[in-house]
Amino acid sequence: MLISLNWIREFVDLPSDLSPKELADRFTLICAEVEDVTPIEVCADGLICAEITKLDAVEGRSDVRAAVMDIGGGKTVETVTAAPDLNVGDRVVFAPSGASVKALGAIKDSTVAGLKSSGMILPGDAVGIDMAAREAIFLPPSVQPGQPLESEVFDDWVIEVDNHSINHRPDLWGHYGIAREFAAIFGSPLKPYAVAELEELSDASLPEIPIEIDDADACPRYSGLRLKGLTNQPAPLWMQLRLGHVGLRPIDCLVDLTNYIMFELGQPMHAFDGDKVERIGVRAADAGTKFVTLDNVERTLPGGALMITTNGCEPIALAGIMGGAETEISEGTRTMLLESANFHPYVIRRCATHLGHRTDASARFEKSLDPNHTVLAIQRFVHLAAEEFADFALDSRLSDAYAKRLPDISVTIDPKFVARFMGHPVSREQITDILTRLEFKVSDAGEKLKVDVPSFRATRDIEIEADIIEEVARYVGYNNIEPGFPEVVVRALDSNPLQRIEREGLRAMVMSFGMTEVQDYIWYNSEWCNRLGYDPQNCLTLRNPAAAGMERLRQSLMPGMLSFGSQNRHHFSEFRMVQLGSAFPVDDPKICETRRLALLCGLRDKSAEDALLAELKGVIENWSWQVLDRPADFAAADANPARPWEHEHKTASIRIAGNAVGRVSAIPLALRQRMDEHLAAWSLVWAEFDLDPLANLGEHVEKLPPVPAFPEVDLDFSILVDASRRYTDVTETLSQFDDAILNRITFIESYEGKSVAAGKRALTLRARVGHKEKTLEESDLARFHESITTYLNGCNMELRGT
Amino acid sequence: MDLKQLETQLSVLHEDTIKAIVAAGSLDALRHLESGVLGKTGTLGALLGTIKEYPPAERGKVGQTLNRAKTEMTKAFKEAEARIKAGAAAAESSKAATYDPSLPGRRLPLGTFHPVTIVQMQVEEVFRRLGFLVETGPEMETEHYNFEALNIPKLHPARDMQDTFWMTNGMLLRTHTSPVQVRAMERHGPPLRVIAPGRCFRYETIDASHENTFFQVEGLMIDRHISIANLIAMMKLLLREVFGRDLKVRLRPGYFPFVEPGFELDMSCLICDGDGCATCKRSGWIEVLPCGMVHPNVLRSGNIDPDEYTGFAFGLGLTRLAMMKFGVADIRGLNGGDLRSLVPASRLTGPTVSAKG
Repeated sequence: MLISLNWIREFVDLPSDLSPKELADRFTLICAEVEDVTPIEVCADGLICAEITKLDAVEGRSDVRAAVMDIGGGKTVETVTAAPDLNVGDRVVFAPSGASVKALGAIKDSTVAGLKSSGMILPGDAVGIDMAAREAIFLPPSVQPGQPLESEVFDDWVIEVDNHSINHRPDLWGHYGIAREFAAIFGSPLKPYAVAELEELSDASLPEIPIEIDDADACPRYSGLRLKGLTNQPAPLWMQLRLGHVGLRPIDCLVDLTNYIMFELGQPMHAFDGDKVERIGVRAADAGTKFVTLDNVERTLPGGALMITTNGCEPIALAGIMGGAETEISEGTRTMLLESANFHPYVIRRCATHLGHRTDASARFEKSLDPNHTVLAIQRFVHLAAEEFADFALDSRLSDAYAKRLPDISVTIDPKFVARFMGHPVSREQITDILTRLEFKVSDAGEKLKVDVPSFRATRDIEIEADIIEEVARYVGYNNIEPGFPEVVVRALDSNPLQRIEREGLRAMVMSFGMTEVQDYIWYNSEWCNRLGYDPQNCLTLRNPAAAGMERLRQSLMPGMLSFGSQNRHHFSEFRMVQLGSAFPVDDPKICETRRLALLCGLRDKSAEDALLAELKGVIENWSWQVLDRPADFAAADANPARPWEHEHKTASIRIAGNAVGRVSAIPLALRQRMDEHLAAWSLVWAEFDLDPLANLGEHVEKLPPVPAFPEVDLDFSILVDASRRYTDVTETLSQFDDAILNRITFIESYEGKSVAAGKRALTLRARVGHKEKTLEESDLARFHESITTYLNGCNMELRGT
Repeated sequence: MDLKQLETQLSVLHEDTIKAIVAAGSLDALRHLESGVLGKTGTLGALLGTIKEYPPAERGKVGQTLNRAKTEMTKAFKEAEARIKAGAAAAESSKAATYDPSLPGRRLPLGTFHPVTIVQMQVEEVFRRLGFLVETGPEMETEHYNFEALNIPKLHPARDMQDTFWMTNGMLLRTHTSPVQVRAMERHGPPLRVIAPGRCFRYETIDASHENTFFQVEGLMIDRHISIANLIAMMKLLLREVFGRDLKVRLRPGYFPFVEPGFELDMSCLICDGDGCATCKRSGWIEVLPCGMVHPNVLRSGNIDPDEYTGFAFGLGLTRLAMMKFGVADIRGLNGGDLRSLVPASRLTGPTVSAKG
C-alpha cells in the first residue's frame, strides 16, 4: 500500500531531522516493512488556476484544440492544448509562460499547429498523478482564475508498505492508522481526527433510512446517511494530489471523497444515487442471481453472496465488493445515499474469490474492519463535503443498524511473564507507557495488568497475551533485546529412519558410485509422456496445474529422468544421474506418497548395454551393502507394457531383505528411437526403487569369525545351461548342494558366444573350499569335483570342459 | 680321483662357470645356471656329494677345497645377480625418463550433489551439532497440517500469501515445511528440537527468480521458558555457521499466523556488505529468515500446553541459499536435468587446461 507523507503529516508531526528514508527505516523496524521510498518532485513554480472561456478546433488537427484561458485580473491567454474532455467553464491547473515544473522544464511561448500558444494546461502525469494521457487536472469552483497554486502541495514522498506485512492489521490499511504508529514511534501526539459532530448528524426532524439486515453475522453494522445539495465538481486540488500520489485516479468530488476516506481510515463507503434508493436491505443472494456491477460487467453470483437491496429485493450492490451500475451516481446526481457498513470478512472474501473480482473495498473488508469506523467515516465525509459543496445539506438523519456489537476485548498480562517471554527486562511502567501510546487502556489487576484493546485492534489482531507482548517487544525494539542461549532439557528423540536412509542412500549414490544428483518437478509433462508413448492411468491430479498438461502427479521418476537423458546426450558422451524424490503411485491406497531413488546411466555405445546394465546392478548391490548392510539380488520380471522404459527381456525386480523394492532394466531401442533418434546409438540403463520399505530394516551386523587355520582354495567351474534358464534358478539349485569342504559359491560371469552352443549359456562360478582341520590334498579336490559333477548332472546341468 | 685331479677339475669348472655367468643376460638364465652348478645334482653339488668317497685323511682337505670353490662361485653368482638387477633397474629408470609426472590421473566417475542438497546437508550438520533432530513430512499434505493446525483457518487472508496447488482428491501440495512442526509435536511431544528440510510448492508464475517448486528448512524448538532472546541468539548462530562468518543482522516485525510475535530477520547483503546494490534492492539488507514464537494455537494443535511450554520456529529458504552460495542466476536451472547447470564445469570435464574467467 502506498502512503503519502504529506497526508501522514496532517495527523502527526514527524521529526524534521530525519529523511523520508530514515522515517521509513524506523517504521520497518517497529511496525511493518517499507518496500520502497519514492520522492514526488514536481518542483512547481508559478502554477495558477485558469478557466477555459473559449475552445476551438484547430483546422487540420484532431489532436489539439485552441483554448482561451482566463488567468485572472481580467487577462486571458491563448493556448493550444492536447488535453481531452475539456469544456468551456472548466477550471484547470495552468502553467502560464514562465512557470515551470521539473518534468517539463520552464513553459515558454511557442507555436503549435501554426498557432501561437502561451502557457500550458498541465497534464496530470506532470504532477505525479497517473492519469489518462494528457488529461488536465480540474479544479473546483472555489478556486478562482488567476489564484496561485501553492507549490508545497505538489511535492511529496511516498512510502510503499508491504501488503503482506499488514494483512493482520486492518487499522494500517489507512493513513490515520499508519500515522498512529508514527506518533507512537516518535512519541509525538496523534492529532484528533477532524469529523462532523454526531449531534449534528442526528437531527431528529430528519427522516431515518429504513435498514433491514437479514444476517447479523454477515453484516454486523450498516450505517447510512442521505445528503443533498451535491453537484458534479472536482475535488480540491490537495485531495486529488494525495489520491494521485497513492496511485488513485481522481474522478470527481463525491467518488474522490469516498476513496479518500477509505485510504485514510480503511473504511470503504459506497455512494448510491439518492433518487434511486430508498430503503436498504442486506440479504444473501440466491445462487445464479445475475447482477451488473458499476464496471458494467454482468456477474453470476454464488449462493450466499451478500447483496444490498432496495425496495424489498431489488439488488443494488454486491456488499463490500462493488456497487451496481443501475444506482451509480452520475453527473446529474444531486442527492445521494452514503453507505458505510461492516461485513464479515469471510463472507466478502468467499464471494470476491468466487467471482475472481477483488477490489480495494473487498481487500479491506477481508481484514476484519472495526465496526466503529462506519459512523466515524460518515462523520468525516460530512466534515469534508460540507466544505466543498455550497448547498450541502443532510437529507436524513444518521441511520445506524448495529446488528451485532463487537465485544470489548481485554487481555490480562503478567509483567513478569512478559519479561521472561522476551528474555529481556521490561518494567510495568514501560509496558504501560508503550501500550498507552498505542491507545490501549491499561489498568492494574493486582500483580498483573488489565489491557483494554481499542476497537480498531480488536477485530482479530489482538486476542491473547502473546499479541500484547508483540506490541511491547516491537516498541522496546527487537534489536535491543540481548541474545541469550536457551537452557534446555536433554532428551534423545527417536530418529526418523526414512530421513536417514534418504540422506545415506543419496550420499552413497553420489559419493561412492559417481552419480550426479538431479531434481525434477513432481508432475508429469503430458507432452513428453505422449512422446514416450506413456499414458499413465489413475494418477493423482492437480486441480490447478502450473500449466495445461501438468495435472498428473508422477507415479514414477523415470519419465523425467528420460527427458534429462535426452537433454544431456547433446553435451556428453556418458552420464550417470540419480534423483531422490517423491512418487505418487495409487496401486496401494494406503501408500499414496513414496520416497524413491531413480538412476539413469547412459553411454554413447549401443553395444555396451549389457555391460552397463551389469555395472548398474553392481552399483545397486554395493549400495545395498553400504547403506543397509544387506545384499540385493535380482529376479527376472515381466515388463509392464504400460511403462515403455521397461525392456521386454531385460527387466528385473530388485529384492532387498525379502522386499521387491523396485526395478532395473535397459531402455529398449524402440523407446530410444522415439525419444530422440540419436539415442539409438546409445546404451541407456535405469533403476528405480522405493526407500520406504527399507527405512525400518534396522542394523544388520555380520560377525567376523577367525581367519581359517588352513588355507582355502578357489575352484572355478563353468556350467552350461539353456539360455532361457535364469541365474536365480541355477543358484536356487546350487544352494541345495552341500559338501563338507564347500564354504561358498560366488558368481563370476555369464557368457554366450562363440565357444558356447547356440541356445546355451555358460555360467562361471567360483567355489571356495577348505577344511577346518587340515590342508586340502589333491584327493580332496578330486573328490569334491566328482561330487559337484554328480550333483549338477542330477539337476540337468552340464559341467563345461569336463 | 685324487686331490690334484679334483683341483684341476674345479679350476676348469670355475673358469667355465664364470664365463657362463658373464654370459647370462637375465635373472632366469642365472638362476638356471646356478642350480646347474650349485644344486644337489649340479656340477659342483654332485662333487660335494663325493667327499665320503675319499680316504678319511684327505676328507678334510677335499672338503676345504670344495667349500672354497662353492664359496667363490656362490659369491660370483651373488655379484652377477646384483649386476643384472642393477642393470635392469638402470634400464627401467632410463626408460622412465620420458614419463611426465605432471600428467593428470584417470578418474572414476565423479558424483556431484545437487546445489540445494549441498546447502541442505550443511544446514543439517549445523543443527545436528546443536542437538536438533532432522524430521520429514509428506509433500502432498492435508489442509489440516498445512493451514488449519497452523492457525490459518479457511478464508483467512493469510492464505493469499501462499498460493496453493490443490489436488482433486482434496489434498494439496504443501506450501511450506511448517506442517512438519505439528507433525513433529505429535510424534515427539515436548520438549523438542527439530528441523525439517523439504520441498514446497506454490502456485506461482515461474521466472528467473521465482519457482513453483523449491526447498525450505523448517526449524522448531520447544521447551519451558523459550524466549525471544533465545530465538535471536539461535538465529544469529545459525547464520554464522551457515555463512561461515559473523553477519550483521536485524530483526523486524513480520506477520505469519503460526507465530506470535513474528519476525523477519534480515542480514547485511553479502554482495555489497550493506552499502546497497541491485541484489538487496538498494536496502543493504537481505530478508533470509522469517521466524517467531510459536503461536499458542499451534502448540495446542500439536497437543502441547502453551501455558507450560513456549517455543520458536523459523523457515530458511534452501533454494535461495544455494543460489547465493553458488551464484545461480536463474532458479529454473535447479529443477532441470541439464548437468551443465548443476555441476561446475571443471568437475564435469576433468582437469582444466585453460578456462575463461
